[in-house]
Amino acid sequence: MNAEENKDKKPIRGGRNLVLLGVGAIAIALITTSISLYFYSKGDIYIDRSRPGYISEDEVRQADDDYQEKYSDEGDITDDSLSEYLEELDRVTERIESSQNDFGPDPLSDDSLMITPDDD
Amino acid sequence: MQRRLNFSLLLAAVIVAFSAPTVSAAELDEKRIGAISQNCSIIKERLRRIESAGARSRVYLGTQYESIYSGLMSNLSLRLMRNGIANQDIANQQATFKSERERFRNDFIGYSQELKNLIAMDCKNEPKKFYKQLKKTRTKREDISKSIQRMNDIISGHRQTVQSLRDNTKKDNK
Repeated sequence: MNAEENKDKKPIRGGRNLVLLGVGAIAIALITTSISLYFYSKGDIYIDRSRPGYISEDEVRQADDDYQEKYSDEGDITDDSLSEYLEELDRVTERIESSQNDFGPDPLSDDSLMITPDDD
Repeated sequence: MQRRLNFSLLLAAVIVAFSAPTVSAAELDEKRIGAISQNCSIIKERLRRIESAGARSRVYLGTQYESIYSGLMSNLSLRLMRNGIANQDIANQQATFKSERERFRNDFIGYSQELKNLIAMDCKNEPKKFYKQLKKTRTKREDISKSIQRMNDIISGHRQTVQSLRDNTKKDNK
């Protein structure tokens, strides 16, 4: 009787189940990673503090403190007070002039990126 | 017969004139695409440096614009108002500067996104796609450059307005 029962039972395929488990785990990992990367590249990258080129809030604040010009909103309007205003405006303008070409076309040009053909 | 010959020659000249530059541009693009594949790793390294430098410039310029808007323009408007002086030009410049500053910020985000996509591309195996994306990134960078120019124009106009206001105040005091 026992021998007959054992004959009817299907053998447990441990190897096959293990492979299925592995493939399933990889598939789930791929799907979740893809979803995460999608959201990351859509906007979260801008708040990622470890990405290259990230500038922390502290650095921004430090820059703000270093260069904040302030003109008093109280007091009379005289030629002296307006001259003072113009001086402060000129100080900031000078700083802007030093950086106004920072987004010029040269860094992304074919020559700068070495994509000019050799025989040109 | 002579007329037909003249017409044929003219037609041939037009075809040559229009087709020759296109062919050479296509050939040049092919050579560029070869150079992209060859120098892929160097190009990527340079792009990363451009990305980093751009982020710093954006913070620096953003700080200066903030300084002009909040520290100078707004306070001057308030002071004028408290003194009972209405100056529509200064009010308009302040409003234009504010919206242009917002545009600069958005232009930078757009450029940054395209540059990030460019860096992520496989320039060794997909140089054509890479070159197409590079052209797109250049356009976005140009947008920032134009935005900076517009900001400069507003500041320059604002300076002139304040200068004439000062000259008028001087005259009134004499």
